[in-house]
Amino acid sequence: MTVRDARAAWTSRLVLLFATLLVAVPLIYQLGMSFKQPGEIFVNVLSPVTLNPTLNNYAVVIQTVPILTYLRNSAAFSLGVTVGQLLLAVPAAYAFSFFDFRFKNLLLALVLISLMVPFVVTYVPNYLLLAQFRLINTLPGLILPMLGVSLGFGVFLLRQHFMSFQREVMEAAMIDGASSWQILTRVVAPANVSAISALAVYILINTWNQFIWPLLIGGGRPEAYTLTVGVQMYFTNPEGGNRWGSLMAASVLTSLPTIVIYLFMRKGILRTFTEGAVKG
Amino acid sequence: MEAQHEIQIAAAPVSLRAETHAAGRGRLRRLTPYLYLAPALIAIGVFVYLPLVRTVQLSFYQGNLLNPMRLYVGLGNYQEVLASPIFHNTLLNSVIYLAFSLVGSVLVPVSLAFLTLQLTDREVDFYQSVLFVPTVVAFNVVVLIWAFFFLPTGGGLFNSLLGLFGQPPNAWLKDPLWALPSIALIANWKLMGFHFLLAVAGLKAIPKEYLEAAYVDGAHGWSLLRHIVLPLFAPTGLFLVIITLITSLDAVFTPIRVLTEGGPNNATNNIMYAVYSEGFRFFRVGHAAAISMILIGLFGGLIYWQYRLLDRRVNYDR
Repeated sequence: MTVRDARAAWTSRLVLLFATLLVAVPLIYQLGMSFKQPGEIFVNVLSPVTLNPTLNNYAVVIQTVPILTYLRNSAAFSLGVTVGQLLLAVPAAYAFSFFDFRFKNLLLALVLISLMVPFVVTYVPNYLLLAQFRLINTLPGLILPMLGVSLGFGVFLLRQHFMSFQREVMEAAMIDGASSWQILTRVVAPANVSAISALAVYILINTWNQFIWPLLIGGGRPEAYTLTVGVQMYFTNPEGGNRWGSLMAASVLTSLPTIVIYLFMRKGILRTFTEGAVKG
Repeated sequence: MEAQHEIQIAAAPVSLRAETHAAGRGRLRRLTPYLYLAPALIAIGVFVYLPLVRTVQLSFYQGNLLNPMRLYVGLGNYQEVLASPIFHNTLLNSVIYLAFSLVGSVLVPVSLAFLTLQLTDREVDFYQSVLFVPTVVAFNVVVLIWAFFFLPTGGGLFNSLLGLFGQPPNAWLKDPLWALPSIALIANWKLMGFHFLLAVAGLKAIPKEYLEAAYVDGAHGWSLLRHIVLPLFAPTGLFLVIITLITSLDAVFTPIRVLTEGGPNNATNNIMYAVYSEGFRFFRVGHAAAISMILIGLFGGLIYWQYRLLDRRVNYDR
């Protein structure tokens, strides 16, 4: 028993297919143009694909852009923020889920509200703070503020999961004389491994895609560029004429890691984004 | 494992006397939740709340990034900002961006979500998955393909399409009239799939029996949508409106930074981007801080509203 009827179903299908195609067009173009010869870019504008594909654009990017340095920076930045946020968020969510203590509601409110403060408001003061400690253009300077600015999301999301955890299991562990730390590391964390790893993937993708913050903090020194910043610098670099092909190749290389992760962990990622819809 | 040892070692000297043993354990137990919370609260305090306090302070001074508190000017920054026609323009643009987002990031994804009622779960999963891709790719990097689409010369995609119909090329991002809608299109392109995902999730949360019962009673098509689906969907719709209002200026930030830097002639500027450009392009830290405070003032109501919704979810879910 459903509420479907055949004609409405086909109309819906057509509209959705069309919308999906429109959304996919920029991505198809980006990929297609990365394989076009420079001479072809402005000749067959209306076709995203080419009959004479070339890998030359990728070769140009790898030869002229220190892409491995950027890749290393992006990886260190993303992994640093992910590990750091998990180390902070798991115990905090644990405390908010299983303990009663004074100021609990106030502290939880502060965590939730921290998520809603527009990022841009924190840029100038955090920049000044990092400058004071000479952390501009350094990896710790990139990572540290990100541990606070978007941490509330992880705390909120994990708390939602921990709250639904079977209290009987915990009580049994407590009767067996387990300390609260043992309950966290041996009972609660292992039981929520899928939620925690989904959160890890979410933070990883989000950090990998960061642009404005790494541009502000690492944009002054090419050795500190992340991939997103490196591609932007390549875009604004006044040298060279028609570089659309190699620019798109650099873009594809930057997007590839997150797309691959998405392909493999699609279900978990979609669920995490749905559950944690607090802020983009 | 290591921390567990620490706890035991720390507790050992206390157990020398029975009374202090009990008292010490009790104090430790009372402190326990705060110990688990402390690292997270310190990080949030240092990098979110301290900056807020700092912003209040900086808004009363004139200075640059090297010397942000060079001169105390009282409310001078606020007076200058509020009197500036450019700032009025950024406010107006902000409202226009919000209006575009209500269409592109609420109306469109919600309408598309309603269409999925007619489809099988497998099909819905397919559309959700594909439409979501813009959310997982680095935004500033996909913005570059839009730079190609919007090229002001005849060679870009959109102008080539216009050429097919014999129309002259448009300057798009360099045209004060078209620049803002172009930027808004890019941002909504990115947000649409994410909001579609949320809208479908909201629809799926409506018990199927309600819809089927209404269907059996003769409610089809529009009347089913109007009288059954819409009222049950309203909370999700409201949530989408709020997060759209809060995130839409955030979503246009990257395309503005990459493509127009607020131009031409402030046509794409908005209140959030103004904070950034005052601070990091014009190095007027006091102005940036004053605009930040005005931004928080304007968005405070929305933020509080979103917080109430979230709080309800935190406290009454499950």
